[in-house]
Amino acid sequence: MSELTLPHAEERPTGTRLEARSTPAARKKVSRGLLSSLPVLVVLLLGFLAPLATVAAYAFATPRTFDVFRSFTLINFETIFDPANTVWMSFAWSLGFAAATVVVLAIVAYPIAWGLARVFGRWAGFVSVLFVFPLFVSENVRLYGWTLFFIKNGVLDGTLKLLGGAGPEVLYTPGITLFGMVYVYLPFMLFPMVLGLAMVPKELVEAARDLGASRLMIWREVELPLAMPGIMIGMLLTFVLAVGAVAESKILGGQSVIVATHDIEIAFTYAQNWPLGSALALILTIIVGALSLIALTKLDLDRILGRR
Amino acid sequence: MTAAALAQNPPKPILQLVGVRKTFGDFAAVERIDLDIRDGEFLTIVGPSGSGKTTLLRMLAGMEAPSDGEISLKGIRINDMPPSQRPTCLVFQSLALFPHKTVGENIEFPLKVKGVAPAARKQRALELLRLVRLPETHYGKNVMKCSGGERQRVALARALAYDPEVLFFDEPLSALDYKLRKVMEKELKDLHRESGKTFIYITHSLEEAMVMSDRIGVMQSGRLVQVGTPEEIYTRPSTKFVSEFMGEVNVFDAAHENGVWRIDGVEGPANLALPTAMTSAQKAAVVVRPEFMRFVDAPGGADNCLKGVVFNQYSLGSRIQYQVRVAEKTFLLELSRANARKAEGDEALIGWDARDAIVVEA
Amino acid sequence: MNQSVRRSNAFIWTWTIFVLVLVYLPIACGALAGLSKSRYFGFPVAAWSTDWWSRAIDSFEVQQIVKTSVAIALIVTVVAVIVAFFGALAFARYDWKGRRLYQKLVLLPIFFPQPVLGLALLLWMNAVGIQPTWQTAIFAHLVWIVPVVTLVIAIQVYGFDPTLEEAAADLGAGRLFVLREITLPILWPGVWSGALFAFLLSWGNFPLSLYTTGADSTVPEWLYAKMVAGYTPMVPAIGTMSTLAAATLLLTGGLILALLRWRAGKVAA
Repeated sequence: MSELTLPHAEERPTGTRLEARSTPAARKKVSRGLLSSLPVLVVLLLGFLAPLATVAAYAFATPRTFDVFRSFTLINFETIFDPANTVWMSFAWSLGFAAATVVVLAIVAYPIAWGLARVFGRWAGFVSVLFVFPLFVSENVRLYGWTLFFIKNGVLDGTLKLLGGAGPEVLYTPGITLFGMVYVYLPFMLFPMVLGLAMVPKELVEAARDLGASRLMIWREVELPLAMPGIMIGMLLTFVLAVGAVAESKILGGQSVIVATHDIEIAFTYAQNWPLGSALALILTIIVGALSLIALTKLDLDRILGRR
Repeated sequence: MTAAALAQNPPKPILQLVGVRKTFGDFAAVERIDLDIRDGEFLTIVGPSGSGKTTLLRMLAGMEAPSDGEISLKGIRINDMPPSQRPTCLVFQSLALFPHKTVGENIEFPLKVKGVAPAARKQRALELLRLVRLPETHYGKNVMKCSGGERQRVALARALAYDPEVLFFDEPLSALDYKLRKVMEKELKDLHRESGKTFIYITHSLEEAMVMSDRIGVMQSGRLVQVGTPEEIYTRPSTKFVSEFMGEVNVFDAAHENGVWRIDGVEGPANLALPTAMTSAQKAAVVVRPEFMRFVDAPGGADNCLKGVVFNQYSLGSRIQYQVRVAEKTFLLELSRANARKAEGDEALIGWDARDAIVVEA
Repeated sequence: MNQSVRRSNAFIWTWTIFVLVLVYLPIACGALAGLSKSRYFGFPVAAWSTDWWSRAIDSFEVQQIVKTSVAIALIVTVVAVIVAFFGALAFARYDWKGRRLYQKLVLLPIFFPQPVLGLALLLWMNAVGIQPTWQTAIFAHLVWIVPVVTLVIAIQVYGFDPTLEEAAADLGAGRLFVLREITLPILWPGVWSGALFAFLLSWGNFPLSLYTTGADSTVPEWLYAKMVAGYTPMVPAIGTMSTLAAATLLLTGGLILALLRWRAGKVAA
């Protein structure tokens, strides 16, 4: 039974050669993850952290100059927080729009998410694709479609005229801006919600029903708490994206209100005041970043994405 | 090979472990193990979950590096040799069959790695299919469409295709139902004999170990507490843990007082006859298997007799198990149906002979 | 199924279909506008014409922006998939010290308003002296698309049994052999979905392109410029074409994906 030869006899390293390659073995195992993450980390460093650092640097530069890193002043922030100034208005509008978007979307998306997780069965995949697809169409094209719908002599107005009425004047109001945001960010609320609801084991719902809980009670005591991580991600994502939204107010809102990002853009372009724009962008970044970091630290992504 | 022949001329060790340890942070999963694994033997490591047996196996297969100690294969230190270069092969608990490959492609995988020509690969795969008793028509079958038993055989054939010196098994049969497991245990033993390779198997089932192994090693919290033939483990367990791991046994502490042995929890001297002279010791644990216990008609009908009350009986199929309460202690008896003549609530005199009692460290 | 469950299911279906109609309504309005003969849109459409479509196809300017958009999307796809493939392994496959932190870092660009990110990138490029062109837009797209593709592939990686790699290595296979024979083929559907996402998201992206393409222009950017000033029915016509192109690609990609899954589940007998 020992006339077998080692299959890799020729490649088999001798004792001394083994020693040479032995030490890094343990270290290599630890860092394989780090090694694989490096390309992504480089992209994030150069494309995300570095630009934000630049914004932060510009925010403390002398207004209407480009001498970043050479001057340090808080004057940009003083301008923003000066009550005589109306810059804070745009932030108030943006935060208000974002909060309203989250509330409306939570109500709009929940039944659909529930359907995708529980009701649609083999149709769920197809319905999901229908909701994903608009993400691949640029939002300005889709928003412009709404303009064509609501505009004078447009689809709505034209139809109502045929019936003897007239379309409501909704374009170029803050309300339609909110509508546009709800429309654009629907998928960002919907899919995290579906992930969250999919995390609720069916047996738990059945067990609760078996123990005599009413439907409302099952929802409040079992389903909602267990689906919360996903719902939280959806709410956070839509809030954060809506705070920075600009296309909706420009295309549908007709600039009836100026939102935060629009103000930043004006500072960067027409006003040629990069330090002021940067200070505004920095404030927005801090709001968004603080919210994201608080929520993200609480989430176990392995559980949400990997169902582990 | 008979036990006597083995004792006279023990085969050279193929794998040698000296002081092997594995720690994860402060936790020692495997604690200083010394073990010689003989060329061509079927060695089973048994232990409850968390006893470190999987960690030990993964170190042998090269998937973990020992924190301390030395593992050598045929005299060459292999501590840090990657699994791909070891002439050993592991059959995983999950079997780890490649789901995107057919049965044939799975078996041929190690040959493809070595660069064997397709025609020769196929020929070898068909041979191996025969060896593991699968029809040749399974060659092109989707491996995910195979039954549990078929998958076991494919995993085995794939491991054999690598032509390893040592095959490791990480409880591969645990997912099978009882009947199929029994069949596979015996086939594995046949295959071991036919291939002549060294098999190292880990399991938590001592029953499985008994059927297949030449030798069994019992692990408890990272330590190897006893290594021996199935016979030795069964008849001469070295510790209370090993004896209890063997199945349901009667274990009781005995104390030596004034020249008489007493059983804890039993009033009065027990007239405990022991197989070995234990006069020097003050305390011992005594193990008596339920099948060695019996009902006796009168005191003196066995070396040791105790009076108790039957309070439960269970059918084990061909045998009946009784639970008999003696004072605060419960004793188990296993009797054939012919000898089962007591009912629940009956007073009973139970007894056992001194030669059937095993004394282990307390 | 009792009556109240049936009633609530009916409500959920009705609501979903209603929302879906709203989702596609503006896209349909755009299609109508692109096919009407008159320069200014009016409903009901008085006269139909494919004139604006053929004009758009013949326009040299439009051909240029389509070329730019396709070039950006193709390069973004290739780079994003390679970077995100390894990124997803680090996200979901390997157990390493900084993994939790890394997972959260990857999400940050997704949890960030794109117009602000675009402006920040513009500022940064200016600070280091890089002239924005369509090539810099590739980089801008990557910042947002790499994390998305990483997540898409990571979901597939979570379902991947790491013992398969161990088993292959145990049978003598080297790292590259394992990658080629085991890891890649099993993760292929995820990689493919990731590629599809990368291309389509880049194709439809507006806010990042707006600030980072410099003098060059992508299709969404060009459309926006014309919406603001210089509307002709060519705008909705091109918008519709762009949408149809994305739909065709999604359909083809989806079919290939289904084929991949089907083949994985039914290896030739």
